[in-house]
Amino acid sequence: MAGAGTDTIIDSELMQFAPLIILLPMLAFPVILFLGRVFNRNPFWKDTMKEGGIIALVVMASSLIISLLLIKDHLGGFASMKDSVDFLWLNSSVYESGNLTSISFGFGIYIDHITVMLLFVASFLCLLINIFSIGYMNTDPINDNRNHRFYAEFVLFCSGMLGMVLADSFLWLFIFWEIMGLCSYLLIGFYYEKPSAAYAAKKAFLTTRIGDVFLIIGLVMMWDMFGSLDYDVIFSAVEDETFMAGVSSSTLQWALGLMFIGAVGKSAQFPLHVWLPDAMEGPTPVSALIHAATMVNAGLYLVARMFPFFGSEYLQHDLVDLAFIIALIGGITAVMAAAIAFVQHDLKKVLAYSTMSQLAYIFTGLGCAMFLANTLDWQTDADAHYIVIVAFGAALFHLFNHAMAKGMLFMASGSVIHEVHHAHHHLHHHDDHHDDHGNHDEGHEEEFDAQSMDNMGGLASKMPLTATAMLVGSASIMGLPLIGGFWSKEGIIANAWRVALEDPRFFLPAMCVLVGAAMTGFYMSRMWLKTFAGKPKTEVAAHVGQTNTWIKIPLFVLTFVTLSAILFAGMGFTHWAPDSEYGLLSEKNLFDGIAYEMSHAFANGDTFFFILTYVAIAIGAVLGPGIALSLYGGSLAEGEKVKPWMKPIIRLNAWVYDRYNFDNQAIANSGLSRALENRLYFDHYYDMAMLKIVAGFSDKSAETDKNVVDGVIKKIETGTQSISKVVRSMTTGSARDYILMVAVGTLGIFFLLWGVA
Amino acid sequence: MIDPAWVSALSAILFIIGLGGAFTRKNAIIVLMCIELMLNAANMQFAAAAVHHGDPTGWVYTIFAIAIAASEVAIGLAIFLAMYGKHETISLDDVDVLRN
Repeated sequence: MAGAGTDTIIDSELMQFAPLIILLPMLAFPVILFLGRVFNRNPFWKDTMKEGGIIALVVMASSLIISLLLIKDHLGGFASMKDSVDFLWLNSSVYESGNLTSISFGFGIYIDHITVMLLFVASFLCLLINIFSIGYMNTDPINDNRNHRFYAEFVLFCSGMLGMVLADSFLWLFIFWEIMGLCSYLLIGFYYEKPSAAYAAKKAFLTTRIGDVFLIIGLVMMWDMFGSLDYDVIFSAVEDETFMAGVSSSTLQWALGLMFIGAVGKSAQFPLHVWLPDAMEGPTPVSALIHAATMVNAGLYLVARMFPFFGSEYLQHDLVDLAFIIALIGGITAVMAAAIAFVQHDLKKVLAYSTMSQLAYIFTGLGCAMFLANTLDWQTDADAHYIVIVAFGAALFHLFNHAMAKGMLFMASGSVIHEVHHAHHHLHHHDDHHDDHGNHDEGHEEEFDAQSMDNMGGLASKMPLTATAMLVGSASIMGLPLIGGFWSKEGIIANAWRVALEDPRFFLPAMCVLVGAAMTGFYMSRMWLKTFAGKPKTEVAAHVGQTNTWIKIPLFVLTFVTLSAILFAGMGFTHWAPDSEYGLLSEKNLFDGIAYEMSHAFANGDTFFFILTYVAIAIGAVLGPGIALSLYGGSLAEGEKVKPWMKPIIRLNAWVYDRYNFDNQAIANSGLSRALENRLYFDHYYDMAMLKIVAGFSDKSAETDKNVVDGVIKKIETGTQSISKVVRSMTTGSARDYILMVAVGTLGIFFLLWGVA
Repeated sequence: MIDPAWVSALSAILFIIGLGGAFTRKNAIIVLMCIELMLNAANMQFAAAAVHHGDPTGWVYTIFAIAIAASEVAIGLAIFLAMYGKHETISLDDVDVLRN
């Protein structure tokens, strides 16, 4: 039935314009760079054009508009909603064993359910973060006269992300994937004069490169098996019985596994997670865009793209191990990153670890969905079909919720950091305003850390919009009932346990995501309370002001998107799974859908899942935040007023804090806590391994190079010299001899040809 | 009409004269003239072949070769001028800067 229905190919006229979504930002890249060089320090360029920010804004807005029009054409219920258009690039003919086969290389646009969702996330967040950047980057004197570099790299990155989402083959996916990697490197190292930033940029680039090497090996294996990297070709091949008979499922599993390592690197999962926290050295908009909302989703997208392999009926039960590994990596990272987030003092670092942890949830969700697709007879059984696409949809829905919430959280944290920094600046340099800004910034950066939560506190009354945005974002990440992340997180946990009941191996990831929910509740609450509740911990925090309008717009918009995620839940996130026959709004109407989700989540007929839901809510929304409430925050300073919707939380916090506060010094000083502060020594051991293995290997290869390679080269060199000495004596320099040689040579050729004839 | 074979023979004789001259003379201009003689011998061979086969392609080649020979002579003389400017001689025996 479902899925096997008629394939509806949508023929959207707008497909012809789809490449513009990628091309506009890509073309804006050189334009902004060039104009930035030419008009640097020009007042019009600086104040009105925001050093290229406005050009980027126009370009990203156009991309968003085209994307939305394209998405609109692709909403609806279809058994197989796939649309593609090809732009031929070059055609090469290969003559192989008597057959002339023609291979076309070209760029194409491929749109299905996953594309639609990610295209919206990417283009929407790119625009909002662009608006935020104008408020964040252009108001800090440290960035003056080099913001054009930021915007140029920014638009190039956006073009990479949008291109990766829209591309129609794994090859183009890889190309855009690398463009993003490059931009990530450039943007993390935006403050390249800071050694830590330069180091972080290198670390991010090299760590993801490890994954990319495996990814390209996987792609080569795919090419070997399928003779193409186009989605169309591969995905129809896996449904072809005769073709699949000639494919070794274990080789395919290896290829997919290697590609998954690429995804692990890009999405900062264990054990290639070490780059993401350091990447916070980049400007906050970069953290928001690349390291929270878009680029880290590339790995998830790649795994989601593998769904047809797992769903193929000719590979049933063959890819279970890979599904388990995906879920396991997710489970481990979810708990590990959450634990490290417990002890971080840097606001952005908490968010970075939270990002790793939440991405890990999505990996676990995808792994479980893949397991279900690979074991259930989902193409013919309607119930199984629904289970699979709900599991898959839940993972992608969490991707959506997380991207929106985490983008917003990073922007809110940027807003806090920005204002704390300004307040600090204002407070300490009030008298000597005329001095050079740069010197002061560097001089005081050492003493005062504008990102440390230990310097904040009590900001809820000073930055109401930022505090609200942060609250909603945290609630969504924590999965407080009824808010965005709750629906998707419930889905992931429930499906992980559903799978664990079938395959005991999955018990570990399932346990991890359940425990991770409580940990998320703790560290997100801790972050919010340390920043916004309690009394200001420093004089600076007491003088923080409101943010500017550019920063407020995206915070405001995203707060509502996050709050309204229940609508998406009601519309059925089943829409987002590939091969879903459900369209947006076509399955049930909105209110029925919400009612269904409500009853499904809170009054599940199955006792196990009924209890599981309430256990998850109890530990994620009560236990974790409860401990945080008793440890951090407290009542605000006298006379401070907060917005009415934050009042109950502040009151509750003050009450719990006064009543149940306990001394956690013993825990804070324990070895585990220290280990967590040192990020479980991963960086330490990686560095040591690098030193031992790589440096040792380099020494050996240097010796080999010197003795063996250079020796051979030197021998060749001296040999050639002595031969050339002999040959040189033949060149007499006399024209007569040359004429003779030509004559003899011609005669030789003549006789040679004669002999042949 | 003359038998093309005679023309061929004449061209062969001209070619050998040219070759001998190019080997033995030391004045660069005379060597160039000898080379021209060899080239014309080749042209003559083309013409003879054209008549023999009744195919006008040979004539066309001859015209092309004459045009190219003209420009080649100009280049040769220019080289000699430059040579004279540098070495104050055009004797091939005295100029061997490419030795070893």
